[in-house]
Amino acid sequence: MPKSKINDCHNFQTQLSAYFDNEVPTWKRHIIRWHLKRCPNCSDQYAAIQQTNKLLNYLEPVKTSDLFLSNVMSRARTIRTYENARRSVFNRIGSVVENMKTWIRGNIRAYNPFYMAGFVFGVVMMVGVTLYSPQIEKLNPFNQSNAETSEVHQEKLISFEVIPQDQPKRFLKIR
Amino acid sequence: MIVSDEDLMLECRKGDMSAFELLVRRYQDALVNYIYYTINDYHRAEDLAQETFLRVYKSASRYEPRASFKSWLYTIATNLSRNEIRNRARRKTYYLEDMVDENEDVYHSEFMVDTRFQPDILYEKKEREQLIRKTLKQLPENQRLALTLVTYQELSYEEISEILNCSVGAVKSLIHRARQNMKKLLIKAGIGDSVNAQI
Repeated sequence: MPKSKINDCHNFQTQLSAYFDNEVPTWKRHIIRWHLKRCPNCSDQYAAIQQTNKLLNYLEPVKTSDLFLSNVMSRARTIRTYENARRSVFNRIGSVVENMKTWIRGNIRAYNPFYMAGFVFGVVMMVGVTLYSPQIEKLNPFNQSNAETSEVHQEKLISFEVIPQDQPKRFLKIR
Repeated sequence: MIVSDEDLMLECRKGDMSAFELLVRRYQDALVNYIYYTINDYHRAEDLAQETFLRVYKSASRYEPRASFKSWLYTIATNLSRNEIRNRARRKTYYLEDMVDENEDVYHSEFMVDTRFQPDILYEKKEREQLIRKTLKQLPENQRLALTLVTYQELSYEEISEILNCSVGAVKSLIHRARQNMKKLLIKAGIGDSVNAQI
């Protein structure tokens, strides 16, 4: 720091508050202390700061009422109960769905071709798996294997069919 | 062993109510005093301090110990105090403390309870206290906040800069100007020069 600056009282006076609060670096502290010993004007300024602070500390702190803590705790417990109720199963499901929606919207909104292709592929796969699963195959009437099985059943039914026979004819003798 | 505020807050995040209670016990007096010096209304200061703690409790689930808990707590309290001051100015609301005449004996009951001093000394003491409060109230909002934080809460300039959302240099300047203004106002009120003799 140049000598001209050190002797500049105005600069020192702006630093006096920080000096009083121990908020200046050590090297600066020594310079300010050295200056205060030699400069009566700055020394008076520093005394004024000390005096003002003394007056401010003259105020006695107020005491919190006895009910303060119990009031805060009871209100906090109410908040806790409310929060727990809010986090019920349905709300959790709702939040998961909401998160998914936000995620999808965030990704699709960008019209990223890779995301779009992946999304379409996923949808096609899901539809395909649902419609052409092995269990559904049996129900398909156009399927060849299904037609064969139905014929076998029909044969079996025919083999067990009861065919009523005609009564035997009686020949009467004419006397 | 003293548990740090941040650890207590992490316990509170897990749902430990006793940790939260300990935090409230730790800061209730300091916080009520801070808000009281800022807005100059004791009952409203208690309400706002309660609101501050409840906001802390509500945000406990999202708490991450990145900054100091103390700074965070005082930031919430400062924002609430600022809103209160602005709302009061907008609605032109006057509080009992503001409307009471200087010579009126509002602390009569307290005088009777405090038996450490003679009544005339007590009266003088309370009168001076009231004058200092009024003088403090005349400071601009930011200067008052900074001066209250450094004088009564003994926070560092860095913590104050976090609370007031400004640089450390700005805090230095704010406090310097606040002390200068305070000195002028105290002299104007007639108690600035004779302070050393009186105290």
